[in-house]
Amino acid sequence: MLTAALVSGLGLGSMYGLMALGFYMTYAVSSTVNFAQGSSMMLGAVLTYSFTQTLGWPWALALPLALALCALYGLLVEFVAVRPFTRRGSNAWLMATVALGIVLDNVVMFAFGKEPRNLPSALAVTPLRWGDVGLGVYPLQLLIPVVGLALAGALHLVARRTRWGVAMLATAQNRDASRLMGIPVRRVVMGAFALSTVFAGVAGALVAPLFNVHSDMGTLFGLKAFAVAILGGIGSAWGVMVAGFVFGIGEALITATLGSSYTQIIMFSLVIVVLAARPNGLFGRMEVKKV
Amino acid sequence: MSEVLAAGAARAPAWRPRGGGTLWALGAPWQVGCVALGLLVGLGLAWMVNGYFVYVLANVALLALVGIGLNVLLGLTGQVSFGHAGFYALGAYAVAVLTTKAGMSFWLAWPLGVGLSGLVGFALALPALRVKGPYLAMVTIAFGFIVEHGIVEWRSLTGGQNGIMGVPTPVLAGWALGERGVASLAIATCGGVLALYTWLSRSAWGAAMRAVKDSETASESIGINPVLVKSMAFAVSAALAGLAGGLFAPLSSFVTPQGFGMLQSILFVLVVMIGGAGTIAGPLVGAVVVGVLPELLASLEEYRLLLFGGLLLVVLWAAPQGAVGVLTALWRRLGRQAAPGAGASQARMPGDALSHPGAAARRGALSVQDLGRVFGGVRAVHALSFETLAGGVTSLIGPNGAGKTTVLNMLSGFYRPSAGSFSLQGQSDGQGLQGRAAWRLARSGIARTYQTSQLFGSLSVEDNVALALRRGRLGGLLRARQFHAPDLREKSRALLRRCGYAGPTDIRADDLPHVDRRLVEIARALATDPQVLLLDEPAAGLSREDKSHLGSLLTAIAATGVGVVVVEHDMGLVMRISERIVVIDAGQLLAIGSPGEVRADPAVRRAYLGEAPAAGAAHRRAAGRHARTDAAEWLGVGELGAAYGAAPVLQGVSLQVRQGELVTLLGANGAGKSTLMRALAGLHRPVQGGIHLQGEELAGLQAEQIVARGLVLVPEGRQVFAELSVRDNILLGAFLKPAAREERLAQMLQRFPRLRERLHQRAGLLSGGEQQMLAVARGLMSQPQVLLLDEPSLGLAPKVIEELFAALDALRDESVTILLVDQMAALALSLADHAYVMASGRVVAQGRAQDLLTDGALVRAYLGGEDGEDD
Repeated sequence: MLTAALVSGLGLGSMYGLMALGFYMTYAVSSTVNFAQGSSMMLGAVLTYSFTQTLGWPWALALPLALALCALYGLLVEFVAVRPFTRRGSNAWLMATVALGIVLDNVVMFAFGKEPRNLPSALAVTPLRWGDVGLGVYPLQLLIPVVGLALAGALHLVARRTRWGVAMLATAQNRDASRLMGIPVRRVVMGAFALSTVFAGVAGALVAPLFNVHSDMGTLFGLKAFAVAILGGIGSAWGVMVAGFVFGIGEALITATLGSSYTQIIMFSLVIVVLAARPNGLFGRMEVKKV
Repeated sequence: MSEVLAAGAARAPAWRPRGGGTLWALGAPWQVGCVALGLLVGLGLAWMVNGYFVYVLANVALLALVGIGLNVLLGLTGQVSFGHAGFYALGAYAVAVLTTKAGMSFWLAWPLGVGLSGLVGFALALPALRVKGPYLAMVTIAFGFIVEHGIVEWRSLTGGQNGIMGVPTPVLAGWALGERGVASLAIATCGGVLALYTWLSRSAWGAAMRAVKDSETASESIGINPVLVKSMAFAVSAALAGLAGGLFAPLSSFVTPQGFGMLQSILFVLVVMIGGAGTIAGPLVGAVVVGVLPELLASLEEYRLLLFGGLLLVVLWAAPQGAVGVLTALWRRLGRQAAPGAGASQARMPGDALSHPGAAARRGALSVQDLGRVFGGVRAVHALSFETLAGGVTSLIGPNGAGKTTVLNMLSGFYRPSAGSFSLQGQSDGQGLQGRAAWRLARSGIARTYQTSQLFGSLSVEDNVALALRRGRLGGLLRARQFHAPDLREKSRALLRRCGYAGPTDIRADDLPHVDRRLVEIARALATDPQVLLLDEPAAGLSREDKSHLGSLLTAIAATGVGVVVVEHDMGLVMRISERIVVIDAGQLLAIGSPGEVRADPAVRRAYLGEAPAAGAAHRRAAGRHARTDAAEWLGVGELGAAYGAAPVLQGVSLQVRQGELVTLLGANGAGKSTLMRALAGLHRPVQGGIHLQGEELAGLQAEQIVARGLVLVPEGRQVFAELSVRDNILLGAFLKPAAREERLAQMLQRFPRLRERLHQRAGLLSGGEQQMLAVARGLMSQPQVLLLDEPSLGLAPKVIEELFAALDALRDESVTILLVDQMAALALSLADHAYVMASGRVVAQGRAQDLLTDGALVRAYLGGEDGEDD
């Protein structure tokens, strides 16, 4: 029981962390985020479902294509809902990304249908057993945190080792100095949005077999991921990943001990309490106000 | 999110109180009439149309109610909330629970629900308003979720998912209102609340809310406590959402958790944005659109949310000021065409004295003892003690990065001093003022202005001053008349006139030209009746004539007994108006005294001009120099102009760098050198003029394109990537030209051996000198045709500077073409072939480097004229 809760919390937590990493990436290079990242996650799940189930394509083809389309959607978000506003120095991107998310959710609802659908996966059929004892955990649930951590690790390596990765880190630290190095900051920002949307898409495709696939499956998930990013202090990569695990496990433990009904209330209350005490998140740094 | 909303509110009509031209301080008779007519039509319809449309009508009224409330938050203070459905739910459930389970009368339950929402709003404001932007959005979303899920889970009280049925209709004097009655009540309430909103937005509170949105910093420096103002806005806004919710319960006669989710909150935001945030009638229009549009397109019911999402996007894109905002902007444009020249403002600074009767006796000097401030281990200011003059001008000067603005920020309460104290003479508590919040200091009598003027752009010029006259005491929440009282207005206008502002007082401060912004800001600061007035670079961006007017104004202000403290780069001005000058360097006191004493002080000259190098070294450098006047022009700048907002920074700057030359650009702080460098590198877009590199036009290109063409800036303050390794920093310089980058890296390490030992350390851990070498190495990796160096010696120890200049000398000998800006003027000249001297955004002298070394023009540019007359 507790093991199952922990494993599930670890899995969901890693997915929150993965999506929060996406928030971190775009925020680092452009001080903006896609507030409706839950819709991106939903898009990943719905596309994976459509390709594998409706069209019957093999996973090896369906998944990369779904993620590629997610990347395109990320570029669209940046182009439609972020850049027009940052260019005129406005913060309306916050509302604009929310609006675009509503549009996507509803477009998907009409194209995909209102009924929740179940995405079958070979990894979510029989729970794992330890000898004779059922663990109450599907193999997929073990795979999810592994993939989450692997992707976070891969991001770390890419950022440290590749020319574009280092350019991204540089942009995050000092935009003007990066432009003086000849780094095309605009393209870096576009890349960050594409990559963050891909991460959300991965989360969607991975958790889809555990939940039902439908057009507003991402809303709550996306908000929790954003809460995680805020809690971790949106400017710290490892901070948001740790916060993801803390949030996921905390949520699972509350559900296991108090029942699922209070999870949302308690977790979101905690978010307010933490922000009241530490306005820049648990691991965020205070910025010195310039007058 | 303040900018969006600023965009919305910015175009809000500036309300002009014209004697009898307004009805009950609400607006022009035709405006009041239009709204009243609309409401009456609504009331009439409520009794005529059939049952379903009554519901639609009531729904529009409720949307409008929440919208007006949200407008207080969005429109006036510029904060966004995605959780207002939570407050709406609190109001609805309070009425439902109290009228069904407690059997309470609706007329008692309704205000209780409003009070509950308002209280919760105030409580939530405290954590919510400590955070900004996405953080604030998260708090409001979280709040909405908590309420929504709380309703579902608290079954004993709320009936869980099933909700509460049979909410009784209100009974008024024995008459059950029914659906039509509640709809009418909602419409009438709308009218009342709209009037309340209008009074609020025109009271001192409303002005304070807008002020906080426009510039929280500046609002503090006129004594406004922004936390209180924002919390009040949050509470009012929440209470009004509760008010609407309280009507929703009897209207639909049941409440369930559906309809109180985040989507509903977003719809509320949509109501305000469509109508126009910050406009008075905006939420009414928005509510009609959001409430009626889906009914008109009944066949598209399913597409309702799609439509709203798209609509919100389009509004944000095309008309961030909303429907009413667009209309008023059109209206004003038409009106302006009819009356040409109405907006033209001609400012005349006064030569006459600024008469400010009385009060002079109690004004005192500011006394500073051992003041210190540490930033991340670096001592920005250390053990600084000085006293300003009461009724005189005291100037605070020092080279770039000396800590002047840090001192000003401590004295005005924006930075907490790490050590020391300061106090105003004659303030009896003896505790000192250090560490008090900015708004408290403003109330104690310390006023200030800002380097880039921070007016409340969406307020009228007059309101800027009138609000400051209140010194933070805002009075009643709805006292519009009080804020527009004739004597307050007359005082504001008189103060503006006395400060030399002669333009119209009813235009928005955002529309002012630069000179007027300075004057209005000074008038606003004086309106708080300060004992000490701190000014941060008041002359920046002013013409020579305006500067001399400004000088007279400041001395006139001082003559009324106010202690005037100026941080200023224009030495001509400083020398002319100051009675006392405090010179600081590297955060410590260097000299203090009269202008004459300070100018004669050798330490001051050294700090400003740099130490002249040993004769031998200069000789060696001069010997290796050949005339390059015949070489081709490599970099040409023609008639370049640049500005920050309305403030011109560069005017008609022309210069030339020939192949293989080292040209240095000198001038006092604030002369525009760094702006020129940034403009050359493409970081700051020039407003006019041309930049040519080897004959190719560069103006208008992006920074990365300019780098690719070979014009490379090593920026002021080094700006290494602190979290990356030294190696990564150097390699980033080769981002565009990665060929053979490892070999080039090895060459750089030969040139700067000190970097080799540090190759794998984080660049942030390097010393200042090492960081500068890293920045130069990084720049060289871009294989520049011309290398721009901005203040490489800033903040370095003399020995390190010597080493750095030796490296630059070596580059020179390798015929690297360099344009150098450095505060160590003498040192830079000893290295350079040719030099330009800048002052106030123009080139004032140029010539061979050796000639300039002996020319007085240089000293004048840095320390002001000997006669104290020229700039």
